[in-house]
Order: sequence, then C-alpha cells, then structure tokens
Amino acid sequence: MVANRGFTLVETLIALVLSSFVIVLVSHAFLVQNRFYSTQTQRTAAQDNVRASTELIAREVRTAMEEGIVVAGARTLTVRSPIAVTVVCARSGSAKDVFLDGGEGALDTDEVGGVAHRDPATRDWIPVNTTWAAIDGSGNAAANCAANGADTVGGSGSFHRLAGLNPLFGPPPGEGDVVMLFRETTFKIQPSILDPSTLGIFRAAYGESLVEFATGVDTTAQFQYRTVGGGYADTVSAASLASVDAVRLVADARKPAPTGGVEDITFGWSVNVPLRLAR
Amino acid sequence: MRVGGEDGFVLAFVVFMLFAISVAGITGYLVVSSEFELSKYSSQGAEALAVSRAGLERFVAEHIGTVPDTTVFALGNGVATVTTRRLFAQDSLTDVYYVRSDGAVDDIFTPGSPARRAVGGYAVHHRRPLAHHATVLIAADNIDVDNGGEVHGWDYNSASDCPGGNADDITGAIARVSVSEGSSNDIEGSPESEIWSGGWTEMTDSVGLRWDVLSDPDFPVDHVNSLPDFGAIPPDSFPVIRYTGWVYANFTGRGVLIVDGVFDPSPSFSWDGIVLAEDVDDIIQGYIDGILVAGFEGPNMYSTVDFRTDVNYHSCEVYGANESLSYLELLPNTVFEVN
Repeated sequence: MVANRGFTLVETLIALVLSSFVIVLVSHAFLVQNRFYSTQTQRTAAQDNVRASTELIAREVRTAMEEGIVVAGARTLTVRSPIAVTVVCARSGSAKDVFLDGGEGALDTDEVGGVAHRDPATRDWIPVNTTWAAIDGSGNAAANCAANGADTVGGSGSFHRLAGLNPLFGPPPGEGDVVMLFRETTFKIQPSILDPSTLGIFRAAYGESLVEFATGVDTTAQFQYRTVGGGYADTVSAASLASVDAVRLVADARKPAPTGGVEDITFGWSVNVPLRLAR
Repeated sequence: MRVGGEDGFVLAFVVFMLFAISVAGITGYLVVSSEFELSKYSSQGAEALAVSRAGLERFVAEHIGTVPDTTVFALGNGVATVTTRRLFAQDSLTDVYYVRSDGAVDDIFTPGSPARRAVGGYAVHHRRPLAHHATVLIAADNIDVDNGGEVHGWDYNSASDCPGGNADDITGAIARVSVSEGSSNDIEGSPESEIWSGGWTEMTDSVGLRWDVLSDPDFPVDHVNSLPDFGAIPPDSFPVIRYTGWVYANFTGRGVLIVDGVFDPSPSFSWDGIVLAEDVDDIIQGYIDGILVAGFEGPNMYSTVDFRTDVNYHSCEVYGANESLSYLELLPNTVFEVN
C-alpha cells in the first residue's frame, strides 16, 4: 500500500498563483474575443448593408438601355433599364400585338415606366414615359401574330396586345418593329429616415415615392460617372449623358462602435458598373 | 490523486486554450462566412449572366440552316440552354426570331441549386441568303464559254414541283471585263451576261454571304474535306461541305460546296446546288445544276476562265441548298436581361 500524503503549503501556493494567472489570462482573452466578435458583427452588418444595396443598384444600372442614364448627379441617379423587349408581330387598328416572354404574368407591371420604339432606320431607341395601365390592351394577340407567321404553339400566353402607342410616337411602330418596356428608377442618397445620424439610399420607380432600402451610409457616399474618352465625374450634364459608359457608386458604411469602442466602425466600399446590355 | 510524475495543471491549461481557440474560430467563421456567401452568390450570378450571354451570341454566330427549337452549350463552369421562337415573317426570305438563352452555373457549394440568369434578344433569320445574280458569277477578267460548254440562266426547273421552283430567269454569266461565247446559244439568260467592272468587292458585297465566316476553319459545317453518303441521307437534304486547298473535284453530290482554295472540277464532276470558291481553275469541266460563285478573296487567280461544261440554273436545287446556308443576324440594341 502506498502512503497518501497531502499537498504541502508551497505546492498549494504555487498552484493558486498559477491558476490565478491562467484564469486572468483566459478571462482577458475572452473579453478581447468578445469585443472583437461584437465589432466584427457590426462590421459584417455594415458590409452586408452596403454590399446588398449596391448589388441591387448595380443590377439595374448594368442593364441600362442605350442612353438610359437620364439624370446623373452626385447623389441622384435616374436610369432606364429594359423590363422586356418585344417585337410587333401584328397590328389591329392602333393596337399592336407583341411577344412578351412569359406573358403579362411574368411582367412586373408596377415597374413599367415607359415604352421605347427602336427606329428601324437609325436603330436608336425613342423612349416615352408612360405606365402599364395606359398601354395595356386586350384581344387575341396570339391569333393575329400566328396569321403573320408567328409560332404560337405552347406559347400563346406570351403574346399580348399593347394599346395607345400611336399617339406616343411620330411614326408609330409597325409590324416587325422592336418595342421595349422599360423601368425608370431613381436612386437618391439623402439623410436616412431610419437612422437620421447617417445617410440612406432610396429608390423610386417611375411615378412612385422614394423608399429607403439601405441605411448607415457615410457622408462621403456619391455616384460617379465615366464618360467615353474621359475620366470620372460626380455630375454629368444633360448634353453629355449619352457618353456615360460606366457608373461608380461610392457607398462607405459607418456604424457606432459597440460598447467599449471609441471610434465608429467604417467600411469603405465602391462598385463600378459598366453599361453593357441592350446597347 | 497524483501518481508518478503527472501534473494536473497541464490538462487545465489545454482545456482553457481550446476554449479560447474555439471562441476565436467561431468569431472568424462568422465574419468570413458572411463575406464568402455574399461574394460567392454575386460572382456566380455574374458568371451565369456571362454564360447566358455567351450562349446567345454563340448560337447566333454559329447557327446555319434550319433554326432548332433548343440548343445546349457547355460554356466554362456553366450550361447555356438556347431556345428560339419565330415571331414574324417579314417576307418570303426573312423571319424574325426571339432567341432566349438560360445560363446556369453550379458548383460544389450549391449542388442542385445553380445560379441562373437569362438573356433574350431578337434576330433576323435570312432563310435563303445567296442572291441569285447569275448562274456563273466569277471575279475574273474574262469568262469564255465554248468547246461544248453552256451556261444558262433560264430556270431549268420550269414546273412548280418544289419550293422556289419555276423562278424568274437570271443572268447567265457575270465577269469583270468580258463574257464571250463560242456560239450564240452557249450563254442564255436574262440578260445573257453582265460586266461588273467594280471587281470582286462589288461581287462579295452583293452576294449576301459572309465568306470570311463560311471559310473559317472553326465555323461548323456538315462535312469537312469529305463527302457524306448521299444515299443514306434524305433526298431533300442539302449538306454544307467545305474543302480546303487545291480541290480536284471528280465527285458527284448535292448541297453547298465551299472551296477555301482552288476549285478544279474534272469532267466527271457533277453537282446539284451551290458551289462557292475562293478561286477557280482556268478550265471548268463537269456539270453543275445550280449556281457557281468564285473569287471571294480577290480577283480570281486566273484572269480568264474557260467553261467546257454545262452550268444550268436550277431553282429547286438552288432553293434547297440556299436554305442550308440560312443564318441568323442579331438585331442591334435588342439583347436584354430577362427578369
């Protein structure tokens, strides 16, 4: 049998000192990690906010139609982008029967801000602001288009009648002409409603009110525009809008530091969007 | 209880350190995963858009012949599915089509739920693009038809027994400086002959075909440097066949014969349809029911071409072969991202 002996006083003291040291060390590490975690959570939220919002803007800007930049200001951007491009496959009086991929059901009709006619000679778009309610017609568009050679099998629901186009254009669209339904979206950077200490990014469809969809944006936020053969500028005059070939959105995020923090959390972010589709 | 040289503090220290490392790891993961997800979905969406756009452009650029309903391309990390729908018959030679390309990009992180984007656009389908200027159109200075040869621009298919049959008569022969015949009936047509002093550029600009595309080795045709088994394909099938180099043609066939080089037909050569050649030999033999066009890249290598063969305009054969050359042309400013 082995003799049992207790700890000596020295052993106990050494153990207590070492244990205390380790506990202090681990506690400190835990607190540092906790603050780091909180900071990073805030930073992540800030990043998510501006990245998600700039992605949304970039998608609409990227698909802008030719000469689709309508207003190019430092904190205001209005852009026209196609919702659907169609071909007039038949005429019925002043109504035009067109092909809409997926039919009206696949169309975000609330977003329709206008209609554009592609000039058959110059191939340029002639845009006119209007609403879906003003041009939505009714009739058997599929049958009329089929009579002009359209293949409507399995897709009759994708043919639709547009009315009221004739008064909108000089020479009205004829059969075989290309017509575009476009959205006209305005983005604004202005004081946030949700967090007045920061800026927010707002969006409005044509004829609609501004809606805030991103907050916590730093005061440095702005739109910048690159023109063909030139550099970036924060404002482009109306006469030069057609030469804009890229849009950059600078949207730095700023959030108050978590408890114990001194400086705000910032996240520098910008996205550059070349205009490339429907040109 | 302590046994031997064991030291209990080591275990406690390891446990504490594991805890600390775990906290740091979880924090790092939360930060990185959010960023990773955002960038992943963003890049995959952009890649899917690029795939769909590439699919549409490739389809339009490479398509020749009848427009298929569905075509699938593997492009990069994704797949583009291109579908078409005819929307409007502009006239008897051109239709307007809607072309839609659905791009999908998948990866190991998103099995079964790929990023998808779609683009649509409109294209004109040139159903029979070759202009019927003449039975023989060669960018050579002189064309001589003698020694038993005949070149006729009268439609040899006088009955309307095929699409495009019983067509209007066309010019017999066109050259740059002169067209001559051995006897008065060797060349027939309406008119018998024409002189296009403008040379080969005038000809290539007017013929309605993109020779640079058709002669491109990467442009897909039905057969390259070989003939199909004509007995095994439908009688109304007119394949597109491309030969390169100096082609001593001693075969029989039908369709569109593209010679990216020198077309040198032998007496046994017989063809129904269209023959397109960069250059032709100075002596043309054999028999052609259709149209011959040559001199696409400059004046013909021989300034005088002697026809010792019969070349007769045959609207049915030309109609059928011409459909095999049909192509799509994207309408500018019509490509858009389908929402």
